[in-house]
Parts: sequence; C-alpha cells; structure tokens
Amino acid sequence: MSTVRSDDSNQVVPMLECSGITMSFGGIPVLRGITFSLEPGTVTALAGENGAGKSTLMKIASGQYRPIDGSVQVRGQDLVSGNTQAAYELGVAIVPQELASIPEMMVYENLFIGREVKTRLGTLDRAAMVKAAKGYLKEFGLDTDPKTRMRELPVGIRQIIEIIKATHRGARVLLLDEPTSAIAEREVARLATIVRSLRDQGVAILFTTHKMEEIRAMADRVVVLRDGTLVSDTPLADISDDGIVTAMIGRELDQLFPERPDAGNDVVLEVKDLVITVGATPINITVRKGEILGLAGLVGAGRTELIECIYGIRKPHSGTVTLSGSVLKAGSPQDSIARNLAIVPEDRKGAGAILSMSILDNATLPRIAAFSRFGVLSRRKQRSAISEVMKSMRLKSSGLDQHLENLSGGNQQKVVFGRWLTGQVDALLLDEPTRGVDVGARSEIYRIITELSSAGMAVVMASSDMPEILSLSHRALIMRELGVVGELDREQLDSPDVQDTIFRLASGLRAEPLKDTTP
Amino acid sequence: MNTTATAPAALQRSNWKKLAGNFLVRHIMVVVMLLIVGFFAYRSARFATPDNLTNILIAAAPFALIALGQTLVILTGGIDLSVGSVMAVSAMAAAWTAKNAGDNLLLPLVAAVAAGLFAGSINGFIVSQLGVPPFITTLGMLTLASGFAYVIGDGAPINGLPASFGLFANTQVLGLTLPVVLMIVAILGLAFVMKRTNYGLRVYAIGGNRLAAEIAGVRSRRILFSVYAISGLLAGLSGLMLASRVITGAPNLGQGYELDAIAAVVIGGASLMGGRGTVWGTAIGLLLIQTINNGLDLLLVPAYWQNVIKGVIIVAAVGVDVWAARRGRR
Repeated sequence: MSTVRSDDSNQVVPMLECSGITMSFGGIPVLRGITFSLEPGTVTALAGENGAGKSTLMKIASGQYRPIDGSVQVRGQDLVSGNTQAAYELGVAIVPQELASIPEMMVYENLFIGREVKTRLGTLDRAAMVKAAKGYLKEFGLDTDPKTRMRELPVGIRQIIEIIKATHRGARVLLLDEPTSAIAEREVARLATIVRSLRDQGVAILFTTHKMEEIRAMADRVVVLRDGTLVSDTPLADISDDGIVTAMIGRELDQLFPERPDAGNDVVLEVKDLVITVGATPINITVRKGEILGLAGLVGAGRTELIECIYGIRKPHSGTVTLSGSVLKAGSPQDSIARNLAIVPEDRKGAGAILSMSILDNATLPRIAAFSRFGVLSRRKQRSAISEVMKSMRLKSSGLDQHLENLSGGNQQKVVFGRWLTGQVDALLLDEPTRGVDVGARSEIYRIITELSSAGMAVVMASSDMPEILSLSHRALIMRELGVVGELDREQLDSPDVQDTIFRLASGLRAEPLKDTTP
Repeated sequence: MNTTATAPAALQRSNWKKLAGNFLVRHIMVVVMLLIVGFFAYRSARFATPDNLTNILIAAAPFALIALGQTLVILTGGIDLSVGSVMAVSAMAAAWTAKNAGDNLLLPLVAAVAAGLFAGSINGFIVSQLGVPPFITTLGMLTLASGFAYVIGDGAPINGLPASFGLFANTQVLGLTLPVVLMIVAILGLAFVMKRTNYGLRVYAIGGNRLAAEIAGVRSRRILFSVYAISGLLAGLSGLMLASRVITGAPNLGQGYELDAIAAVVIGGASLMGGRGTVWGTAIGLLLIQTINNGLDLLLVPAYWQNVIKGVIIVAAVGVDVWAARRGRR
C-alpha cells in the first residue's frame, strides 16, 4: 500500500484528513479504521462495490454522520461530527446521489437560495441574481437560461448546477457521491471537464464510483474500499485496471457467488415481439427452465421497463409474454401472479415493500388467496407458511409481527423476495436484486437465486452490478434504447475483455464486431 | 470489539423498549380518556350514572357510523369531507319517502341507504377511476349533496312524518336503542374485517404503498372505490337515524359532522397519509369527543366555550399521541 504523500516532498497541509474512521449500523461494522487525506488540487476516486461503505464515508467526511471512532480534519481544524453546518462553513460541500435542488424553482433561485441578493429596500434583486447566475453557468460551459425551472433540466445539468452552487459558496473540498450513476454518456464527459477545471483552481475533490472508465477519465488517485476496509490507496498511474478491480472485488468474488448449476432445456418464459413504446425495437427473449438470464445496460436502457412489461405493471405497445405455454394478460399483475410469475422490483421502498406493515402482512399479500377462506384470513396458515420461508431466507427479525420499517435494507429485500416462495414460482423477475443491500446479505441473496434456479425456476435478472451479471447468469442480454443490442453466452461472459464488450454494446460504441448478436 | 456477542443483547433491549413504546402508544388515548372521565365524574354527580352513560352512547351512535367509514377512507390515504352533507341528503330522501309512502318502513330505509351509497359511489368513481384528489372530489360532493338536501325539501324541513318513522332510532333491543346496537355491531364487524380479512389487509396495503400493493396483485382501484362507497352508505344510515330520532327531515342535519369524524379518526392514532390506524382507535376517539360534549353540557359550560375547549382537547390529545409515539420510537 502506498500513498501519494512522501515525507521528503514539500509538506502540503491536507484539505481533508480522515483518521481511523470506524462506523457501524445496528452492530454491523460498515467502516473499519479508514485513514486517508485529500490534498488541494487533486481528484481522488473512492472506488468500491455497492455496500463497500463509500457513501457512509462520504457522509462522515461531510459531517452528516458521527463516526463511532476516528476524526475528520479540514485544513487542520477538527470537523464537529454530526454538524453539516460546521462542515459547510469549513468549506466542505457534498453533492449527494439524490440531488438536493428544488425542482419547482428556477436555476438562479436554486443557486442563490439562502444567500439571496437584495436591493437597498430589502426586496429580492432578481435581475442581479439572474445576471450573476448567467456568469457562473458560462464559467462552467453551460448556456442554460438561469430562468429555466430546475425540473425541466436533465439530471446531468442539475448536478452541475449543484456543483456550481457548492463551489461558488467557497467550497474547497467537494464530495461527489456517485456523480455519474444517473446521467447520460456525453454528460459524463462534461462532468469530467468541470472536475478537472475545479482541480486546477485548487479544490480537493473526492468522488465515489464503481466504474472503471470514470476512474480513468477523472481521477489522479484511487482509494479502494472493500467491506468497509481501505484496501488500496495509490496514484492512478501506479495501478492497472485489473489491479483496481482485484482490489474492489478481492478474492471474495469466488466466495460471494455460489456455483452455477446447469440450466435445463424446456422454455419456460417467452417474450415475443415485445415493443416497449412506439418506435422501440421489438424484443424477443426465451428463458429456459433453471436458467438465469442477465440483463445489462446503462441507466435508461430499458431494463426496468422490459421487466415491468413482462410482469404487467406496464402495458407494452405490442407483443406477447408466454409463461409455461399460456399467454399472460398484458397489464395485469393479478394474471401474472396466478400463473406463477414473481417479481422483485428495483425500487424496494417505492415498489417492493410496504414499510408500515408487518413482515407477516407483507408476505401474505401476493398469495393472499392461499391463506384465506371466503375472504377471511387464517392466521395459522399464514404463520406456518411464512415463518418457514423466512427461516430458509435466514431473515433476521424480532418476529413476524415486526414492521418492515424497522428492518435493514437486506432483510427488507429478503421479505420482498421470500413472500413469493410460499407457493410455486415458474419464472422470477429480478430488478437490481442487491441494490442497497450489504455484502453479507448479498451473498445470501445470490445463494437463494442460484438455489431457486437449480430447482427449476427461470430467472431474469436486470443488474447494473457487473460482477453479478458475469458470475450469476448463464447468458446475458445487453440493452440500449429500449431494445436488445447483444447477447453473450457463458463462454463470452468468461472471456477477459467481456466488460469492455458489454460497455461498448451498452453505450453504442461498436468498434469490435460481435460474433453473434442474434438469438 | 465483540460485536457478535453484544448485538443480540442490544437488539433484545431495543425490542423491549419498542414493545414498551408500542404499548404506551396504543394505550395513551385510553389513559387520556380515563383522566377526562375521572374529571367529569368528580365535578358532576350526574355524569357517572347509567342513564347518562347511555345518553353518551346514543349521541355517539350516528356519529360512530361516519367515523368508521372515515377510518377506511383515511387508511387508504384519502379523506371524505362529504359525509355530513350525505347524511343530510339521505335523511331528506328518507323523510320524503316516508311522507309519500305512508307507514311503510322499508322504503325510507332503502331511500336513505341508496342515497348514501350513490353519493359515496360517485366519490369512489371519481377518485379511483379519474384520479381526482379525494379532498377536492369530496369537497365538491359536500356542496352538491347539501344543495340536493335543500332541493328535496324545497328549502324547508320535512315535518309531519308518520310516527313509525321514529322506530329506527327508538326501538329497544336488549335494553339498548337500535342505533347503539348498530354502532356496537359496526365497530365489532369492521374491527374483524380490518384485522382478519383479505379486504382489510388490502386497504392497509394500498394506504401504506399503493404501487407496491398493485405489484403484489392488489386491484387498488376497486379497493379505493369501495371505501368511498362504504363511507357513503354508512353516512346514509347515520342520516336516517338522526332524522328518525326527531321524526323530521332537516336539510342542515349533520352539518360539520365530517370534521368531528375526522377528529375521532385522528385522535384514534390514524395517519392522514394512510396505512396506519385502527378501528379500535377510532372507537376510542369518538367516545372521547362524545364524553367531552356530554360532560361540558352537564357542567353547564356555554356552547361557544364548549367549542373552544373541544378544539384545545383535540389538538392536545393528538399532541400527546405524537409525543408518545416519538418516545416509543426512541
């Protein structure tokens, strides 16, 4: 492990210094003794897989969380933990993953919120603010009208406006949490330009990512977290891509993912000429018994939409879905459930779990008819079936009557998953099955997925997590612009340059022709 | 650090705290209720007599039905502002029918129920199928139904009804009047429905998270429609009972009742965001309000002051509830 600082170089006072940061949630350690520092005029990538502890570390560095142990210093001054205002005054600004702008207000209003320019009469000097805002935007290469409403702008622009807001208030340390997770390709390039120009002005920048291209495009140095431990802190020039990936995933890749049993031959799920919306390419998919089909692609490629169309939450423009020989009624989740199709949606809190209800009630809902007679529930039937399933999921709870809002993300996901398993499931649709799930629960979810597929279930799994696609699926489809643009079989998934291939397909750069793109 | 050993112990301790907190949250309103009852019993010799307690129940009955309907609506995250007016229009429909149909008891009953169900169904259709916000839909219905109530009586109350019209409110069953029996049956029945049936679970589910409920196979539009229809139906019955008590159809009957009904549900611990609340809570809430009404009457507090005191008690009661819930969560 090496650091950029060496003792004989000119001593630079670090902008931000974290020493021995330790953190845990509900007794589960998330960060273990993290020490690193940010120098002025540098860009550091904080890399690591989902659940490695990146966001938690960001929140500690910006004063939002109080660590159990360790300290944060900004330009030699102690940061009072748990006090965002103090961090802000010391010049630390964070641009969170979920942007904090006010969508109904105009761009210049967002920029000046809390430090509005006033006229001598004490009223708002809108003209002055608009003019100043225009200047700020131009500095960052944006010709957006400052009088545009925030919600009308794409996420990428909104993010840049957040960055402008932070730096024009004198931020010397800029923390960007997953800045590229929701923005389009060309916006990433613009973001990179802006990050570099801020670096040249002496700002210390730390951004989280788990994507290799972004590290290469923006960072001078890369700090890698794995399972809450700092495993590498290296100047970018001294480490190879493989080195970063190995540091991120470690040798745990083999342990994290269980062995993959062979798929069967009978087709269980068939999607025929499905067009998501007018103008999209028709999609044809077959999934066999016991097969795990991965769906890869960038944000907005249509993975979630495809899964919603198959399940019936969304009505496709045209096309059919056939499950075990019978055609599903479009736009009818009830019909899908009755024909043994199950789904674990992407947005757990918004679409999966009902947080105000108990584990028992959540798990009862999809198969409610099996637990009732003439509309009256049998508590005994509910309890015996559900407690058995939850035991097999290794759910950690104080009992089936515990409300979901009191469970961790991983355990909520186990409930959203396990509620289907009280009955027969022929095909299972998973959308980002491990998003926001800690590493321990992830490996259990992988184990469950593999067990279910080996028991004969056909699985479709959309994921942004590359190792998940590469290690779990028998076959993977790559989506772009609401269509399928490529298919990779197991052999191709094992080839060393597969990540590059998937990225090219997903982003539309098809420099290398693919062997076989049609099913 | 010995996290593996301490984690379960810490978990257990926090669960104990949670249980104790839940107990407090669930029963704080009962404590408030007992305090208020104790106060009135101490101040007024007449308060704690069987006769007076029966009076409280009789006054509570019409009000209980709309509060129960309101509970269902609020559990889905909606609100029904129209119940007071729907009571009025149903009462007028029943009175008009009674006047023109002679001694027949079935026809006024059918008229009241049909009027309530019809108004509720319109609310339900507009909210569930057209997606108009419940507040606006039922605000419109409040005005519309009230207008119709006056139209039916041509701007005046309907008097001179056959004496049999009073049977709805004054028949004795097992020593209690019919409305009180109906109230008890409705509370027990609805408590069972909400706790033990598919329907109840689905109502909680769409109030807790409509999209997640739909993905789990709940037909949310049907459920939404049904809660407004039920609320209307119960308002219809409630209007009939109120009119029957005085053997008159008054177009301004039930005015402002919707606010007391909402207060009862909220005092009972329900969240206006939906998904949280119980039938038992509503029952406690409505008894609390009726007890205050009755006790202040006995103490000869002037009517305007009664409103002031009631307002303070409603907010204070919910404030205590919120405080207890926060304590419980900690």
